[in-house]
Parts: sequence; structure tokens; C-alpha cells
Amino acid sequence: MSKIQFPFPFPEHLSIMVPEIFVAAMAMAVLLWSLFLPKEKHTITAWMGIATCAATIPLLLSQAGSIGLMTFYGFFILDPFAVFAKLLLVVATLVAMVLSIDYMRGEKHMPEYYAMMLFTLLGVMFMASATNFVMMYLGIELMALAVYVLVAYQREMLRSLEAALKYFILGSLSSGMMLYGMTFIYGITGQFDFEAIGIALQGVGEDGRFAMQLGMLFIIAGLAFKLSVAPFHMWTPDAYEGAPTPVTAFMSVVPKVAGFVLFIRFLVEALPVLQHDYVQVLTVLALLTMAVGNIAAIAQRNIKRMLAYSTIGHVGFVLLGLIAANADGYAGILTYMTIYLFMTMGAFAIIILMRRDGLEGELIEEYAGMSKVRPGYAFAMAVMMFSLAGIPFLGGFWAKYAVFIAAVESGHVVLALTALLFSAIGAFYYLRVVKYIYFDEAKHDFAFRSNSAVQVVVTVSTIMIIALGLFPGPLMEICHQALIGLV
Amino acid sequence: MVPLSSYLIVGAALFSIGVVGLYLNRKNVITILMCIELILLAVNINFVAFSHFLNDLGGQVFVFFVLTIAASEVAVGLAILTAFYRLRRSIDVQDINSLQG
Repeated sequence: MSKIQFPFPFPEHLSIMVPEIFVAAMAMAVLLWSLFLPKEKHTITAWMGIATCAATIPLLLSQAGSIGLMTFYGFFILDPFAVFAKLLLVVATLVAMVLSIDYMRGEKHMPEYYAMMLFTLLGVMFMASATNFVMMYLGIELMALAVYVLVAYQREMLRSLEAALKYFILGSLSSGMMLYGMTFIYGITGQFDFEAIGIALQGVGEDGRFAMQLGMLFIIAGLAFKLSVAPFHMWTPDAYEGAPTPVTAFMSVVPKVAGFVLFIRFLVEALPVLQHDYVQVLTVLALLTMAVGNIAAIAQRNIKRMLAYSTIGHVGFVLLGLIAANADGYAGILTYMTIYLFMTMGAFAIIILMRRDGLEGELIEEYAGMSKVRPGYAFAMAVMMFSLAGIPFLGGFWAKYAVFIAAVESGHVVLALTALLFSAIGAFYYLRVVKYIYFDEAKHDFAFRSNSAVQVVVTVSTIMIIALGLFPGPLMEICHQALIGLV
Repeated sequence: MVPLSSYLIVGAALFSIGVVGLYLNRKNVITILMCIELILLAVNINFVAFSHFLNDLGGQVFVFFVLTIAASEVAVGLAILTAFYRLRRSIDVQDINSLQG
């Protein structure tokens, strides 16, 4: 018997993928194990999912020092930037799972729900480490396919399926556009690797410039769909409203964080030659996005829909960091995403608490008078709303500040001031919620079930928002550190 | 010998038919799935053509990834569509209207 010869060399440094391998193994384990569980014990899978996320955090922390390690023939990179992004993604998934425990109880096929969340997590972790078109596409699709299923989870509710269908159609279109753009970049350079593309594009003359810009436009459009940047945002309000609320919370944070991380890496490594062009494109997109997000939100009566437009508005603001195109801008994006995670999760946690028999807790009027009956939650909701509006000195203010300063210092003063104007418009609809909570008469008794898991999320998010508002320095410092090796 | 530009024109035509079909289609969701498939085929034609003219196998390898994922995408899409049909008894585009969009 001769030794088995692999036809190809086994990837080196496979150890840098340990967190991903662990998540993948656990996702499949949850899926398989649930087959042997009696139905009443299905909640165990939720705790398995939560334990997986919790165990991934130390695995990621142990990688924090590694700079620029590659595996899978340069498809997969490990640097502080990726580690920081993955930490955010894992924490967001963990919180979304905690929010789901009670909400999904009694739902059919619950174990697959947590498996799908873990698969989404796997997809976004690959996105955070992708250095290659192939990995970028695979990561995005793994994430997207799992999120389509999550949105469609309440199969007996028409709006859930409808949301999934709309999201699916537009999501597939966006993947197609992104791929079509990739073909042009490949056609000019013959490369799929970001850095190799960046080098090859420097040698492209005037005759190749059009194809280069075309490729860039299509890829930006594809990513813009995933990030719900206007005019590619049409799916967002419907998908947010139709999806189960914990999924809405999940999809308003996780794909956005991963999308921005991938966007940054792609622009920095592959497109430095086209910086002038993409800054122009992104400026137009940012203005449109902020206008659509902040103005359309005013007309909404459903709070999930309102938060969908609020997400669009925030994404528009975060684009300023990409437009600044320097280390401060990218660090600002990471700061923004960290604080945004806590604000959004906190707000959705309260929406989840409001749901009980005969009351979805989704209309803004239903929050009227909350402060008299439930002062604690009313305070938490007010903190989230003030923070989302960017009122000093809460977390949300520093998130906006970090990105705003980066944009001003890179010379985009007019754009930054316009962004500020739109934020001021946006503050109106956040403050309207606070007005309902504090100054209106209660129309019902707010007798919702106590739910300790969700209460923990509300408490932690509120504390984090206030703490980050008072001491933003350490977070901003860490975000700058995370860019070592990238910029 | 067919020049590269001919392949690219075919690709662009397929891509445009797919996108236009997606927006103009007011009848059936299955047609939308077919349009998405056309877009991905356009991508594949571009990749194979570039790969051939660049003498680089990478593009053809990418095509396999695209094909595989297109298959799983349609699987998820059809699953959502059958679930939708069970509730709504219709897969007309006009009937996807319970959310204000």
C-alpha cells in the first residue's frame, strides 16, 4: 500500500480558519442533531446556536494579533480588520439568537432557523476575509440564500413569504449585476485577486478605461443592493416589515456590517486607480440614500418600516466614510457599525417585547403612553431613539461624528454639511416616537409577558449606548488599530 | 475566428433581455426566475469568452461556481414560491401586493 497522494497541496495555515470551520461544523451539527430531538426540546438548538457564537468569540480574540496571514492559495486573509468585523458579526448573531428564543418558540421547524442563522454567520465571516472575487461571491451568496430562508420563516403568514419573494428577486438581480461587473474587471486584468487587480489596473491605458469603469459601476451597484443604498433600496422596507422581527434585527445589522467591510477591502485593494471615479459615484448614491431614508421615514406608521428607512438613512451617512477614502473614514465606519449594532438591536428588542396576543406592537401609535406604565422600557426606547437621531452625548452621536469629521478632513465639506442637514430632518421621526412614549395617553395596558432574555438585551444595549456616549475614545482607538495592514 | 466583441455583444444582449424582462414582466414569477437565469448565463458567456481570449483558465473555473450557486438559488426561490402559492393560490406578480411597496 502506497501512501495516498493528494493531487493538490493541502492549504497551508489552515489554522487561521478555525473560527469558520467551527461555525460550519456547528451549523451542520445543529441541523443533524435536531432530527433526533423530540419536538418539545427544540429550544435546545437555540442554546446550541448561542453557545456556538459565544465560543467563537475567544477563538477570534486569539487571532487578534495576526496581520496579513493568507490561506487557500490567497483566497482568504486574516488581518485585524477581518477579526474586528467578525467579532461584530458574531456578537450581532448572538444577540439576534437571544431575541429569537421566545419569538420563535412554537414555530414549526425551529431548529433549522438557528442552523440558517449560523450559515448566514459563516457567509458573512467569509465576506469579511475575502480577498478574491470567487470568495466574495461565495460569501455573499451563502449569506443571501440563508437570509432569504430566514425572512420566509413564518410560512403561514402571507407577508413573510411576500417579503422573502421580493427580497429574493431583487437579491438575485443584484448578484447578477455584481457578477457581470466582475467579468469586465476580469476581462481587462485576467485576475480575480483584489491586490493583483489593483496592480494590473495601473497598467491599463485609456482604451481600457471604459470597460474598467463599467465593471466598477456594476460591482458597486451589486453591493449597493445588499447594503440597501438608494436607488437600490426598494426591497428593504418590505423585507423588514414582512420578516419575523428577530430576523429584521439580524438583517439590519449583519449583512450591512459584512457588506461595508467587503466594500472597504475591495475599494482599497482593487480600485485605488479609480478612486476619483468611485468617489463621484458614491457621492451621488450617498446623497440619494440619505434623502430617501430620512424623508420617506417620516410617512411611516409601522415602526419596523420606519426603522427600515432609518437603516437606509444610516447607510447613506456611513457611505461618507467610503467617500473620505482614508484611514479615518474606514475607522469611522467600524465605529459607526459597532454603535449601530447596539442601537438597532436595542430598538428591535423592545419591539419584540411589545408583541403579544392580538397586538403586534408594530404601529407607532401603540407606543403611546408607555412611560406611565413601563418607565424602564420607555427610557430604554427613548435612549435608542435619541441615539439613532444622533443627539449628543449618546453613542449615536459619536458614530456620526467619526464619519463626519473624516469626510470634512478629506475635503468633502458640502457633502458632510448636507448629511448633517438630512440627519436633522431624520431626528424628527425618531423624536416623534419619543413624543408618543412620553406625552400621549396610553391606549392599552402594556401587559406584555416578561421575557428575561430580551430584557437582558435591552439593558445591555442601553448601557452600551450610554457608556459609549460618555467614553467613545477607547472604541475609536480600537477601530483605528483594526486598520493596521490594510491602509 | 469569431472575435471577442461578438461574444460580448451576445452577453450584453442576454443581460439586457434579463434585466428588462425582470422589470417589464407583469405576469408570472416563473418568468422572473427565467430572467435571472438569463442574466447569469450572460455572465457565464462573458467569463468563458474572456477566459479563452486571455488564455487563462480562471474564468472557466468561476463559471462552475456560478452554475452551482445559480442552481441552489433557484432551489431556494422555487421553495419560497411554492410556499407562497399554498397561501395565495396564485403566482401572478400583481398578487404580490399585501405589503405597501
